[in-house]
Amino acid sequence: MLSSLFLIHSAKWASFLLPSIHKISKTGNNKFNAENDGDFPMKRWLKNKRIKEDVKHKEWEQSFIKSKDFKKIFYYNQKTNIRFCLTFMATLVDENIIQDGILPNLLEDEFREIEDIKQLVPVADVQICDDPSLIEQKLMNGYVMLTVETEMKHFGFIAAQKEIVRGISQPEVEFSVIGPKEAFVESLGQNLNLIRKRLPVKELIIEEFTLGSLSKTSIAMMYMENITNEDNVNTVRQRLTNVKFDAITDSSYIVQLISDNSNSPFPQLLDTERPDRVAGILAEGKIAIVVDGSPHVLITPTTLVEFFSSFEDYFLNWLLSSFFRLIRLFAVAFSILVTPIYVATLSYHYELIPKDLMNTLITSRREIPLPPILEALFLELTIELLREAGARLPTKVGQTIGIVGGIVIGTASVEAGLTSNVLLIIVALAALASFTTPVYRMGNTIRLLRFPFLFFAELWGLLGIVFCFCILLTHLIRLTSLGRPFLEPLYPPRVTDMKDALIRLPFEKQSKRPLYLRTKNPFRFSKKKAEEKQDIDE
Amino acid sequence: MKEQTVPDRLKISPFLVFYLIMSMQIGIGVLGYQRIIAMDAGYDAWISILFIGVGIHVIVWMMYKIGETVNGDIVTAHKYLAGSFFGKALSVIFIGYFILYSLTVIRTFIEVIQVWMFPELSTFWFTFGFLLLCVYIIFGGFRTVVGTAFFGVVLPAYLLFTFGWAVKFSNLSNLLPIWDHTIKELLTASYHTSLTFIGFEIILFCYPFIKEPKKSQKWAHLAVLTTTLIYTVLAIITFSYFAEDQLQKQIWATLTMWKIVEMPFVERFEYIGIANWNLIILPNVCISIWIASRLIKRIFNIRQKIGVFFIVGAVLILINFLNTREKINTLNDYIGKMGFAFTFIYIPLLFAAVKIAKKFMQKRKVKKQ
Repeated sequence: MLSSLFLIHSAKWASFLLPSIHKISKTGNNKFNAENDGDFPMKRWLKNKRIKEDVKHKEWEQSFIKSKDFKKIFYYNQKTNIRFCLTFMATLVDENIIQDGILPNLLEDEFREIEDIKQLVPVADVQICDDPSLIEQKLMNGYVMLTVETEMKHFGFIAAQKEIVRGISQPEVEFSVIGPKEAFVESLGQNLNLIRKRLPVKELIIEEFTLGSLSKTSIAMMYMENITNEDNVNTVRQRLTNVKFDAITDSSYIVQLISDNSNSPFPQLLDTERPDRVAGILAEGKIAIVVDGSPHVLITPTTLVEFFSSFEDYFLNWLLSSFFRLIRLFAVAFSILVTPIYVATLSYHYELIPKDLMNTLITSRREIPLPPILEALFLELTIELLREAGARLPTKVGQTIGIVGGIVIGTASVEAGLTSNVLLIIVALAALASFTTPVYRMGNTIRLLRFPFLFFAELWGLLGIVFCFCILLTHLIRLTSLGRPFLEPLYPPRVTDMKDALIRLPFEKQSKRPLYLRTKNPFRFSKKKAEEKQDIDE
Repeated sequence: MKEQTVPDRLKISPFLVFYLIMSMQIGIGVLGYQRIIAMDAGYDAWISILFIGVGIHVIVWMMYKIGETVNGDIVTAHKYLAGSFFGKALSVIFIGYFILYSLTVIRTFIEVIQVWMFPELSTFWFTFGFLLLCVYIIFGGFRTVVGTAFFGVVLPAYLLFTFGWAVKFSNLSNLLPIWDHTIKELLTASYHTSLTFIGFEIILFCYPFIKEPKKSQKWAHLAVLTTTLIYTVLAIITFSYFAEDQLQKQIWATLTMWKIVEMPFVERFEYIGIANWNLIILPNVCISIWIASRLIKRIFNIRQKIGVFFIVGAVLILINFLNTREKINTLNDYIGKMGFAFTFIYIPLLFAAVKIAKKFMQKRKVKKQ
């Protein structure tokens, strides 16, 4: 029980101190009481400065002592015979650093006063200060506190954080066949390293915040000083400092806490696990928010089209990537609209379908007792069920579920006459199409969007679908990300920003940074040089 | 007399005026204007469309001059001419005009739906849903309203191509001989197109919300030009597709033409067309309700949100009384006439009045000095 060792320090005072501490905890005003101890005439002799200091020590220590991992150990230097004390949280510090890097030097070399640690301790981060209010925070950040008996007012802090970090692995959500295979991990320092080494310029500014009254999560805001719009930076800073929450355990909390409209199903901050993507957007003039303990970095301000662009698009030739983007756009529209259209046409407008196609539909629906809407809802919910179950189960069991669900339930429900096989194909295709969104969060939104469309399709047929589309459109027009329109460059229409929206033009055409970011330096490179035309055979 | 200025972040870029005007002009009129104009001028009526198109350019020019002179919307112009009280009183009429306008648009659209798609559709509930959506849009501010206008033009633009099917079956010789009607007949036809064309007058009301309004003038002219051309081409296609007697039986000739569209997976294209028309109708209603509520705010100093609810409530009540074809038709006629009177009679008068008042004031200034 090392934690009780501190009593050695002033064992003879212990009996006096205990009642005074008791009194303090009763009145609850620690400082006041400590200062006024001397007002009791009988204890005037206690007006000894050292005692007072001791009382203060005890105060901050009181709550620490309860934790088992709080250690306070006393040592004697072999040469000067000075007594010093190391205080730390055993769970937060790396004991190897203490054993190999701190203790040998402090014990064996000539150690007289606290200033000496700057010479003796071979650790990069060594601080000396005399502000006792810092103690708690420093200890909780994995520092070892060093006090010397002769200088009770000064504290030395030596960094000895234990870093248990998962090794850098491949991106799992935003996997790309071509391009870098690094993904962020759960450590802020490591993540910042991954970004900074891709942008080794002094203009890349990292501002740090500590949020969460309990979790004390470190959050870093990154931007390029000479590019990023000042207003955007100020807005992010403002919103981050205004966050009132107790425990922020992931960047998703920040997304919901600082987004413009928290009632929208659309994510208004883009999250990514790819350091290359973050480096790319920083160079464009956006802002990245890195949250300690989260492998997802947030990007803001963002637009709707960005959620449908994969970073792999930039690794491919512009023709290919434009083609894939258009496919994705089509897939999303298909995924949202196809089941509602099926419901609308089969409930209300079968005249719309040509005779030959109608034959196929009628044959498959001949024995179905349910109206199209129930049929569609049944299948859509089954698919959602499978997805949800697949996401919650361990990987190996998840595969079985996929097979059971996809093949067995699908075929069986068709054979049982619950659903038509045409609809089964349609719903399966729609589910498949919704997986094409490169950002997982947006895929979730699309899953949800299908249901209001189904509802309106049942209500007013095709008219209902267009009506629901109008609602969606209005919502998107009204939505902003960091006060910048979310639908840009579609609305407000910005032709120059279309170069990297629904299609991606070649890099020579991308000489300007996105207009809506209102960057300080709107040019990425000189357009003139890039566009120098060469004649034949020159 | 200090006017409330509109902050820059609420203003729209000049080129968006193009979409604003186009979306307001293209509405319910397009669905069946061909029959009405052919009644007077026969198959020469497409010339009448060009006539009125030229006329509108002049009116647009006048509206910009008015806006420029008084540096504000029509209420400012009225105040400039008649003082604060009478100016406001004059402007009250336009609240009624725009409420009626939105009412006409919604009711006619619902009639189309009831005739072509859902005979059983409840007028009240559809209006209710539609107006809720409008409230949601208008609460987003003028930029959102213009956003709907933008998408209301861009997204349904593909519908223009669907008239290509009708071209396959059309016979241009129907139009011959060209110009065998008198000028008077042609002008009467022009007058009857006004329901199809009105909507451009909103510039007088949105003027303070346009960034650099001078730059937007060319876009306004371009918008009017585009709609004129669309209407002319559509009229020519219609005239060459239908025989003259046949056209007189088509209330919604545009919709009937869609019947010929045939694709491997779609027959009866008019269902898709009408459903899409929802997107075209939406800005019509939103812009007019926005203008009416804006006027209420300017005149009575009431919060615009309350004004919106008042207008929506009024439309929701009034729409129940329009339950027969005759009533709807009468309302359409009236709105057409009112629109014509407003744009082609009132605006030139206002223009002249503002010009004279300005001269007068300048002279007085000179005298004082």
